[in-house]
Amino acid sequence: MSEYQLLLQRYDPEHDNEPRQQRFTVQGEHTTSVLDALLYVQQQLDPTLGLRWSCRMAICGSCGIMVNGIPKLGCKTFLRDYHAEILIEPLAHFAVEKDLIVDMTQFLAHLSAVKPYLINDYSGTQPHKQTPAQLAKYQQFSNCINCGLCYSACPQFGLNPEFLGPAAITLAQRYNLDSRDNGKAARMPQLNAKNGAWGCTFVGFCSDVCPKQLDPAAAVNQAKVESAKDFIISMFKP
Amino acid sequence: MSTPVSARKPYQPKLGRSWWLKHNYYRLYMLREATVLPLLFFLGCLLYGLYCLTQGAAHWQSFQLFMQQGWVIALNLLAFAASLFHAKTFFALFPRVMPLAPAWLMISGQWLATLLVAAGLLLLFGGWL
Amino acid sequence: MSSPKRSDEPIWWALFSAGGVCFAVFLPGLILALGLLWPLGLLNSAWLQHDKILTLLQSGYGVTGLAFAAAVICLPLFHAAHRIHHGLHDLKFGFSQASKLLCYGLALLLSLLALVLVVAV
Repeated sequence: MSEYQLLLQRYDPEHDNEPRQQRFTVQGEHTTSVLDALLYVQQQLDPTLGLRWSCRMAICGSCGIMVNGIPKLGCKTFLRDYHAEILIEPLAHFAVEKDLIVDMTQFLAHLSAVKPYLINDYSGTQPHKQTPAQLAKYQQFSNCINCGLCYSACPQFGLNPEFLGPAAITLAQRYNLDSRDNGKAARMPQLNAKNGAWGCTFVGFCSDVCPKQLDPAAAVNQAKVESAKDFIISMFKP
Repeated sequence: MSTPVSARKPYQPKLGRSWWLKHNYYRLYMLREATVLPLLFFLGCLLYGLYCLTQGAAHWQSFQLFMQQGWVIALNLLAFAASLFHAKTFFALFPRVMPLAPAWLMISGQWLATLLVAAGLLLLFGGWL
Repeated sequence: MSSPKRSDEPIWWALFSAGGVCFAVFLPGLILALGLLWPLGLLNSAWLQHDKILTLLQSGYGVTGLAFAAAVICLPLFHAAHRIHHGLHDLKFGFSQASKLLCYGLALLLSLLALVLVVAV
């Protein structure tokens, strides 16, 4: 057992005008995650602490927070990897509702803007078959858990909240690359815009923080190539 | 009974101008973007050199004298370092934007091209060609 | 819902990318040769004499000179313009339309100057 100081950013919309910091002391062993520590604080020290969490195994994507300034999933980050004091803040660039809870409305709007579902005319009852090679084209980009860490890592989203952002553009690429999908023409206008793929300057930090190793930066920049091709094709259309 | 009032009061943090100083990853990004500043200096030298070429042999001599000044060499040393740092980052990004071949192959192929160009120029201007 | 306006970034991004390749492949060798070793007196080939350089640039009916200017001056200029334009946005200087005009406009002017100079030699 070792002792850790958690420096938590607190914000109570009913009393505070801006966030403040509060220190809590917790005990941690080799397997104690940051989420475990936060739940200990909530259950034993201060029941008013607000945070989101659910699965505790890096698949639900709810427990995104900033740990020492870096976007992390609380459940996939362990006290053992830190020194005695750990700064914990809500995900950067998003509006804070309370303590560690942020407003994801804009993020979800960006996700739905790229029509993230199969678009086709297929109405048969047979399963839609796909070869392993066709699957491999988009599989890497299909593992997104919508945790929003990439948005907190992206300064372009921080500077311009209208920027579609890494996860949404990766999702667009994921469906554009799917052999069962015919919806590319419907998605390209979003990617072609100033706030689409072109809002990115390949900082690349999104890929670093992605807990599922999707490489969203690569997806966004491959979307730029697609958008550039679309640009050239559009010049030859009346 | 009064109508319930929403207690929502979201706090929107603002990204300050110095956001890129806060993390090493962002500092390296800005350094990558800033490689074009010493590049611009060297491009200026090239333009001046071209101008001197059009003005005759005497001017070309004065261009060489200009390039021999300590501060010009220092800035060009910076430009050389910047070009290598740019190459390192650019070559690593390329296979992610256009995954045409395994990344290691694309990266080493690009370095080989840079090396061949440098070797060719040194052979030519070194008098071995 | 009307779709958002198509951006003209593909043009600038294509020039930026081409310039980035030139910056990474041609410039290290050129800076090493012309910016460092030649001024330090370590390169003394006849190819660095005034008349020989003219021959070099004018070879192939002047195409060599134009290709040289495009590869090591014009495209790298557009590469630099793109990074500075976006860098100004990163540093929150919010005049994006003006900085775009200024950056790419200057790159265009200096590129034309380079092409005029190699034609004139």
